[in-house]
Amino acid sequence: MALTGRTGLLAALAAIVVLLAPAPGLVVLAAALVLAVLVTADLLLAGAVRGLRFRRDGERRMRLGQSATIGLVVDNPGGRRVRGVLRDAWQPSAGAAPRRVTLDVPARERRRLVTTLTPTRRGDREAVAVTVRSVGPLGLAARQRTFHVPWTVRVLPPFLSRRHLPARLARLRELDGRHPALVRGQGTEFDSLREYVVGDDVRSIDWRASARRSDVVVRTWRPERDRRVLIVLDTGRTSAGRVGEAPLPGSGRSGWPRLDWSMDAALLLAALAARAGDRVDFLAYDRAVRAQVSGASRTELLSSLVDAMAPIEAELVEADAAGMVAAVLSRARRRCLVVLLTDLNATAMEEGLLPVLPSLSSRHMVVVASVADPRVAGMAAGRGTAEAVYDAAAAERLRGERRGITAVLRRHGVEVVDALPEDVAPALADAYLALKAAGRL
Amino acid sequence: MTAGVAGTARTPGRVRQAAWVASVVLLVLVTAVLPLLLSEGQSGGRTLDPADTSLDGSAALARLLQAHGVEVVRVETPGAAVAAAGPQTLLLVTEASFLNRDAAHRIAEAPGDRLMAGAVPHLDVLAPGVRREGPVRARSRAPECTLPEAVRAGDAYTGGMSFTGPRGSTGCYPAGDGRSLVRYTADGHTVTVLGDASFMTNLRLAEDGNAALALNLAGARPKLVWLAGPDDFDEAGGPGDETGEEAGGEARSLGDLIPGGVKWAVLQLIVAVALTALWRGRRLGPVVAERLPVVVRAAETVEGRGRLYRSRRARDRAALALRAAAADRLAPRLGLPRTATPEEVAVAAAARTGRDPEPVLTLLCGPPPGDDTALVTLAAHLDSLERQVRDS
Repeated sequence: MALTGRTGLLAALAAIVVLLAPAPGLVVLAAALVLAVLVTADLLLAGAVRGLRFRRDGERRMRLGQSATIGLVVDNPGGRRVRGVLRDAWQPSAGAAPRRVTLDVPARERRRLVTTLTPTRRGDREAVAVTVRSVGPLGLAARQRTFHVPWTVRVLPPFLSRRHLPARLARLRELDGRHPALVRGQGTEFDSLREYVVGDDVRSIDWRASARRSDVVVRTWRPERDRRVLIVLDTGRTSAGRVGEAPLPGSGRSGWPRLDWSMDAALLLAALAARAGDRVDFLAYDRAVRAQVSGASRTELLSSLVDAMAPIEAELVEADAAGMVAAVLSRARRRCLVVLLTDLNATAMEEGLLPVLPSLSSRHMVVVASVADPRVAGMAAGRGTAEAVYDAAAAERLRGERRGITAVLRRHGVEVVDALPEDVAPALADAYLALKAAGRL
Repeated sequence: MTAGVAGTARTPGRVRQAAWVASVVLLVLVTAVLPLLLSEGQSGGRTLDPADTSLDGSAALARLLQAHGVEVVRVETPGAAVAAAGPQTLLLVTEASFLNRDAAHRIAEAPGDRLMAGAVPHLDVLAPGVRREGPVRARSRAPECTLPEAVRAGDAYTGGMSFTGPRGSTGCYPAGDGRSLVRYTADGHTVTVLGDASFMTNLRLAEDGNAALALNLAGARPKLVWLAGPDDFDEAGGPGDETGEEAGGEARSLGDLIPGGVKWAVLQLIVAVALTALWRGRRLGPVVAERLPVVVRAAETVEGRGRLYRSRRARDRAALALRAAAADRLAPRLGLPRTATPEEVAVAAAARTGRDPEPVLTLLCGPPPGDDTALVTLAAHLDSLERQVRDS
C-alpha cells in the first residue's frame, strides 16, 4: 500500500480544527480514527493490482543515437477500474521516458502505454520492473505492486563512418575499371581479353593474342576477389581509454572509448570489403573470444557484425596476445588480411604482440589500426610556460614510443594505421584499398 | 533562470530575465515596506512614557513639568517607584498592566500622593472605594465640578472609564453614570483616578485645557515619580527584577500563556508530517542498478607523467624527449633515415638553413637546461629550427 499527499493534507487541516475545538484531545483521537477508516475504505475500494496482466511489443534492435518506442499493454481482468500511476523502469542508460505515466484502465479492458527509449550507450538495455500504484476513489491511499515484464533492446553501434562509404566505393569501382572515368582498371588479376579501343594503355596489349587474331587485343584486369579479411578487435584494457569527443550528444562525458572508435572503423572496413567481393570474418578477443562472426553472407554481414559488437565492453585485463594469435591462426587457414584493431601501447606491445607477431605476419597480411589521442597531440603543442613544456615533453615521449613501435611493426611487414578518432575509419579503409590496388591481399 | 541564448531567442530571454529580477525586487520591497505601512498608525513609541517623543509618548509633559520646577523621576519597576516615593512626592502610574497584586499592594502602601491614569488593574488595592461604572467614549468634556485643578483647566479630553468615588470624594468630567476623574483623600494620601490618560500624550497635550489639567494634576508636588512601562515585561514581573521581590506567585511561564489547544494541534501536525513522510517515502518501484563501463581518459597516463616531470623538475628527461621528437621530425625533411643520430640531424639542419652548426648542435644534443626558463626557451628554439627547415 501507499498513501497520497491528501492524507497528510487532511491531517494538517484537522490540526486547525484541533486548535479551535473545545476538547482538542478528543478531536485528535477522532481525526486519527476518521483518517484510519477513510484510508482503509479507500484501500478496499481501489482497483486490484494483483491480477493485472502485461504484454510488451516494439523494437528489439536500435542504433545508438536513435529513439525507439516500446509498447506496454496493461490488461485489467478485475471488476474495478484501476486508476493511478505506472512506472516502467529501465536501466538508466536506456534513457526511458516518460518516467511515470497516469494509468486508467476500466474493468475488463486494456490500455496500451508507450515508452520511448533514447539510449546513451551501446549494449543490451533491459526493462527492469513495472510498478503500478492503484489509487482508491477518495484519493487517500493506493495499492502498489511491482511486476517483472522482461524486454531487451539491443543498442547497436551507430556506424557513423558510413558517410565515408560512398567515396570509398567510388575508389573501389575505379580499381574495378567500372568507374565512369576513363581509367584503366588497376587490378592485378587477369580478367578477360577484349578488342583495343583508342585510349587503352598500349602496355596492356596482349601481343600473343593479337597475333592469333587479325585485331589488336588488350588484356583487362580486375582487382582480386574472394579474399578473406579477418577483423580482430582487441577488447583489453587499452581499449577502455576514452579519447576524442563523443560524436553523439549524451553518449559520453569524456569522449568515447577506443573500442567504440575501433568498431566504427571495423564496420566501414567490413562494408567496403563485402562490396569488394571479399569475405569478412570478425573476432573480438582479450583473454578469451568475446564475440565472433564467421561465414556470414554478404547481405547479412553488417547486421550480424553490429549484433555481435553491441554487447562488447572493454575488459579491464591485459589482452593475451599469444592467445589472440592462436585464435586467429586456428580460424584463418588460408592467407588472409588480418586487421588488428588495438592500441599502439609500447609496453603492452613489446611484451604481448611482438614476440608472437612473426608467426602471424609470416602467413598473413597484417594491418594494425590504432586510435591516436587528440589530447596528446594538443599537449605536445603546448609551449610558453614550464608546466605546458613538461606536459609537451611527456606527450612527445609517448608519441616517440608510438613511432618506435610503428617502426618495429613495419619491419615485420605489418601495415600500421595510426589516426585520430574521427579519421581512423577512413584511414583504415584507404589502407585496405591501397593494399587491394597493390595486389597484396 | 534562463541564460541568454544566441540569435533570435536572445530578446525574449532577456525580457524574461528582467521580469524575474523586477518581480524579485518588487517582492523584497513589498515585504520590507508593508510592515512599516501597517505599523505606522501605532508607531513604535511607548505609550505615556516621559522619555518618548512620539505622538503616544509624554515627553512634552515631562519637559513642561521640569520647566515648572517639578523634579520628574522616571522609574520602570514598582520596586523603584516605592523606593523613590516620599511624603512630598506624587506617584503617577500610567502603565500598570504589568503590575501584579503584590506589587499593587506595595505601591498602595508607599508614602505620598497617587495619580492613576488609564486602565489600571487592581483598582480595589490602589484606590479602595472607587468603583468602575463602565466604559465611555473619550472626548472633550467640561469639568462641571469644584476641583480647582479641573476648573482652572476647563474643557479637557477625558472619558475612557467612568467611576463613582467613595464618600467624601470629588468627581469631575461627568461621563455616563459616573465621572471620569475621581479624587479622594485617605490616610493622608490624595488619590486621583483618571479614566483615560491620552490627554497627557504629545498628541493631545496642546488641545483644549489638556496641558493645564495635566500640569495641575501631575505638578501638585515638587517631586513626581513617573512609573512607566518597562522595556521587558517579563523582567519587571519576574525574578530578574532588581529588587527580587516582585517575583510573585502570579508570574507565569511561556508555557502557561499558550492556549491548551495548541499542544494538541502540534501533536496533530506531527501526525500530518508523519503521514506526509510516509507518502513521500514510498518509492514507486525499486531502485534500478546498472553496471556501467569504467570511465578513464586515455590521456591520463600522459598527464600523470607530465605532472611527475614537473614535480621532480626532470628537465633532463623533458629536454631529451623534446629533442628526440624534433630530431625525429627533422630527419625525413632533411632526407636522412630514421636511424640518423641527433648529431647528423643537427649538421644537416645547419647546412640546410645556413646557420652556424655549433648552436644547432648545442640545441639538439647539448647539455640539459639549467632551469625551467631555459627549458621553455629550448622548446621555443626547437620549434623555430623546425620552422626554418620546413620553410627552407
